[in-house]
Amino acid sequence: MSVAEISGGVVLRRALRRQRGRVLLGIALLCTHQATEALVPVAIGVVIDRAVATGDVRALLLSLAGLAALFTVLAFAYRAGARMAYAAVEHEAHATRVEIARSALDPRGHRSGMRDGELLSVTASDAELSALVVRVAGLTAAAFTAIVVAAVALLVVDVPLGLGVLLGVPLLVLALQRMAPLLTRRSSSQQEALAATTALAVDLVTGLRVLRGIGAQDHAARRYAGASRHALDVTLRAATTKGLHLGLTTMVNGLFLATVAGVAGWLALQGRLTIGELVAVVGLAQFIAEPVQTLGYCVQLFAMARASAGRVARVLGAAPVLAPGDAGPPAPTPSRLTLDGVSHAGLDKVNLHVRAGEILGVLAYDPSDAEALVAVLAGRVPHPDHRGTLYVDGVPAEELHIDALRAVVLVEQHDVALFEGTLRANLSAGTEVDDTVLRAAVRAAAAEDVLAAHPHGFDRQLTERGANLSGGQRQRIGLARALVADPPVLVLHNPTTAVDAVTEGLLAEGLASARGADTHGTVLITTSPALLRVTHRVAVLDRGRVIAEGPHEQLLASDARYREEILR
Amino acid sequence: MTESTRAGVEPRQLLPTATAGQTWATLRAELARLPGLSALAGTLLVAASATGLVAPWVLGRLVDDVIADADTTQIVTWAGVIAGAAVLAGLLTAVGATVAARLGETVLARLRERVLDRALHLPSATLERAGTGDLVARAGDDVAVVTNVIATSGPAFLGALLSVVLTAAGLFALDWRLGIAGLAAAPAYALALRWYLRRSIPYYARERIATGERAQATAEALRGSATVRAYRMEDAHVARIAERSGIARDLSLEIFGLFTRFGLRINRSEFVGLAAVLLAGFLLVRDDLATVGAATTAALYFHRLFNPIGLLLFESDSVLQAGASLARLVGVTALPDTATPSGPEPARQARREPAALEVTVAQHRYDDGPVVLRDVDLRLAPGERVALVGASGAGKSTLAGIIAGIIAPTHGSVTLRGVPLAQLGEHRLRREIALVSQEVHVFAGPLADDLRLADPDATDDELTAALDLVGAAPWLRTLPDGLATEVGEGGRRLTAAQAQQLALARLVLADPAVAVLDEATAEAGSAGARDLDRAAVAATEGRTTLVVAHRLSQAATADRIVVMDHGRVAEHGTHAELLAAGGGYSRLWRSWHMPDPVPPQGRASTEQIEEQPVLG
Repeated sequence: MSVAEISGGVVLRRALRRQRGRVLLGIALLCTHQATEALVPVAIGVVIDRAVATGDVRALLLSLAGLAALFTVLAFAYRAGARMAYAAVEHEAHATRVEIARSALDPRGHRSGMRDGELLSVTASDAELSALVVRVAGLTAAAFTAIVVAAVALLVVDVPLGLGVLLGVPLLVLALQRMAPLLTRRSSSQQEALAATTALAVDLVTGLRVLRGIGAQDHAARRYAGASRHALDVTLRAATTKGLHLGLTTMVNGLFLATVAGVAGWLALQGRLTIGELVAVVGLAQFIAEPVQTLGYCVQLFAMARASAGRVARVLGAAPVLAPGDAGPPAPTPSRLTLDGVSHAGLDKVNLHVRAGEILGVLAYDPSDAEALVAVLAGRVPHPDHRGTLYVDGVPAEELHIDALRAVVLVEQHDVALFEGTLRANLSAGTEVDDTVLRAAVRAAAAEDVLAAHPHGFDRQLTERGANLSGGQRQRIGLARALVADPPVLVLHNPTTAVDAVTEGLLAEGLASARGADTHGTVLITTSPALLRVTHRVAVLDRGRVIAEGPHEQLLASDARYREEILR
Repeated sequence: MTESTRAGVEPRQLLPTATAGQTWATLRAELARLPGLSALAGTLLVAASATGLVAPWVLGRLVDDVIADADTTQIVTWAGVIAGAAVLAGLLTAVGATVAARLGETVLARLRERVLDRALHLPSATLERAGTGDLVARAGDDVAVVTNVIATSGPAFLGALLSVVLTAAGLFALDWRLGIAGLAAAPAYALALRWYLRRSIPYYARERIATGERAQATAEALRGSATVRAYRMEDAHVARIAERSGIARDLSLEIFGLFTRFGLRINRSEFVGLAAVLLAGFLLVRDDLATVGAATTAALYFHRLFNPIGLLLFESDSVLQAGASLARLVGVTALPDTATPSGPEPARQARREPAALEVTVAQHRYDDGPVVLRDVDLRLAPGERVALVGASGAGKSTLAGIIAGIIAPTHGSVTLRGVPLAQLGEHRLRREIALVSQEVHVFAGPLADDLRLADPDATDDELTAALDLVGAAPWLRTLPDGLATEVGEGGRRLTAAQAQQLALARLVLADPAVAVLDEATAEAGSAGARDLDRAAVAATEGRTTLVVAHRLSQAATADRIVVMDHGRVAEHGTHAELLAAGGGYSRLWRSWHMPDPVPPQGRASTEQIEEQPVLG
């Protein structure tokens, strides 16, 4: 299979290219901002030199006006530049997120090898983090500008002193950075311990009803207290390291300031510096550490962006599972669905027919055979992973376009997935359907209690994954949804496992009449006697093979094993 | 929890939130529990900030000395003073930050442990009404918000606050007129902050919701991807994700826009203050009321304030949010404490003794809702197994909840060994009567840890035996690390049937006198339904048991069957009696279409089923 592999580097470069307008403008503005920031201590020195020390009112007014102008440029450059850079990150993250969603929901399947949770965190955080490369570009350029401006200002004042500061500051920052790996290690173990504590709290409280059911709240509280104490220990260790780093930074900066002040004071005493220049040098020596630290931060940020871009690339570059053909929807035939010698997972050369107008029951003694059959019928199994052929209206399924296949065969899963939105939106699955059709399907699925219990009827709002319905209600709404879709071939897998026996009986009747049209084929994979009763024919799967076929009553009367399997 | 309790009930905020006064009082009380540490931390932090003032002051003196043409030794002395102050400030900062962290983090750890303790021991009535949503948010998000602010922004915020206060004091000490000039910036800062907070706080709440909705749309589409594909709804879901992501993006752009406008106002305030200080310095120097050095010191002091003031203002909203989270946490700690056992706990052996249970419900309704149960009168003999049968909404789950003691009947009572449950106390009650509900949850972490929640002292052998009893031995053997295998969120995903077996194994380990199984095997699918039935019988062997039966075979194995209809008991008796009576139950049974209905003979039948000849 040809894999359109893309690397993290591609993702990062693409981000810069896509956002180049915002990035370039943002860089220009942020550089201006940093240059003006660097000039503030110089400006203070100028005011003291020209005005405060001389008592010249005109100089005061002029220099204060200059200071005002400097602040105005500084403020507006920051505002516009930061906005530009931020917008670039957000727009890029959004675009990436949508691309990831599209790729993960590709109709042909998605082969990134990631679990849902991982995919979620890629869309949520990695999309954002990889877009930070834009910010790295802006910050790096701005920090360089600040250093250059400060360097020029220092060298203009005094060349040896300027060189000393320019060499000294990066050396000190680098020396202090030596603690960075330890700091990072300590803070990441702190983050881990805290995240684990939070996760434990959420897990325990989410399972609170289960804990209460067995009177285990005390034990749970003790377990949390243990985790919390551990997190406290780790946090305190990290805090000690951070405190040490903070103290060391304070001390080193102070000692450096003492040196610069001493040397600059001596130079001023010699008459080589004015008072204003002395103030400016001291101010610049303090200022310059900031952009140097920013550069260090950018290195970390870039490493983070690159790691995230790698994960984004893994999703965007993932190959689809299926390689479907391009044939259009086939014309209906009397034999709507045929499995010809299909082997997949546990299935061993299975032959099955679903005729038009028929409800075929499938009883699998081994549940994994049922799962394998559902996967094949849903067209989820790529060709190399199964042998034999699935014919849809006489056409091999792999020759059909993916939409043509899905237009004929619909599989409603055992584990029904509902979505946030109205009951109507869930039942119609995005199509325009009349309320009477919905009502009929709900009645057939014996799900009228979902409607009746609520004043809003079809406009009743379902929460995420239909969590405000019970398991049985979700199953029945899923069945009603399949009946609304009214596909030529419907495959149902254990649709009533959470439905009580009384309701199940009603549902079986409804299902039989709803799928009674003589063009429709239905496959009912189930072990429920109430459902098997309404089938025309039952195929029995054991150890991957069809071992018996016949009407339910006949199998029930003649086959002890069959009786045993459905009597549960 | 059940269809009837769930329908139409919107989540309500039922957990208390503390007032500002209560929150402060709780914090003060916690700090008072560590008086030595609190005093030490305060002293060290103030001292560390104070030493930071030495350098600008010395620089001012140095300027004066340069103007006065002092000798080189004076300059060297001043440099030495700055160096000494630097060393002292470094030491004080290092020790102060560490001590302050110890204080803050210890208080926080105690608080979060108390929050979780109270949350876990929430009275049943409150839990049934409030649900777990808000509680999860508090135990998770709120604790995380407060923890992060204390661990990351806390020290910096505190340091900045002290810096600002002490620098302002230093400015006044230098010259009161310079101090007043510096204060000219204060109204500008205050206005900027007020302008910002008024707008930002509601925005943050909206952004959180928008991000949550984006994540939810994505999660839903990914988890239901098979269904999305089957119904060809990919485009609709991608569009929904794009729409929500767009809303979240636009909101965060708006917030950032607000933030940069705030930055603009801060820059303006900085200029106002700096210009005022320089102007005052100019006037004072001209009139010989201050030296150039003093004016320099004042300007440097003020320039030095830019960063801490910016930090205070920019962090103010996260601190406010942490305050709001803290108020919600303190609210939880104010809940009544049901953890402490009232009365002596019975010995473990005594609990094994099967107990008689009697329930009388004249009427039960949820709030002002319709009557869901009436005229129920039921006695479970010690060790008896009773099955509840009925359609959705017949009141089975409500009755099970009442018997398990998690729902108090509107009119009626439940007694265990003749003692009303209300008198038993929550603690005793939960150890006597276990409830395994349809809500399955696998606790994240090693499998053994999950099981030990039921019995922390159980040995590995006891855990294995419990799993074996409920038929989990075969899959336990396939786990890579056995009992140490990570399960649940982030670990190995168990099937619904395995999760149910786990729930039953916990029941075995908790070893209660009475077991209530509510739809315990309902979600299992056909996969291992019979295995689960067998497991449930094994797990409740020798206990007084109530089973909410979904499948009739579950009912057929019970000692007695109670058929419910519209909140009343329609029929009751043994399987054979009910079949003979020819009522609803017998019609239901026959609808299963068994030509030769052979009810499994309870526990003994398990062997027979396995020995049936295989046809093929």
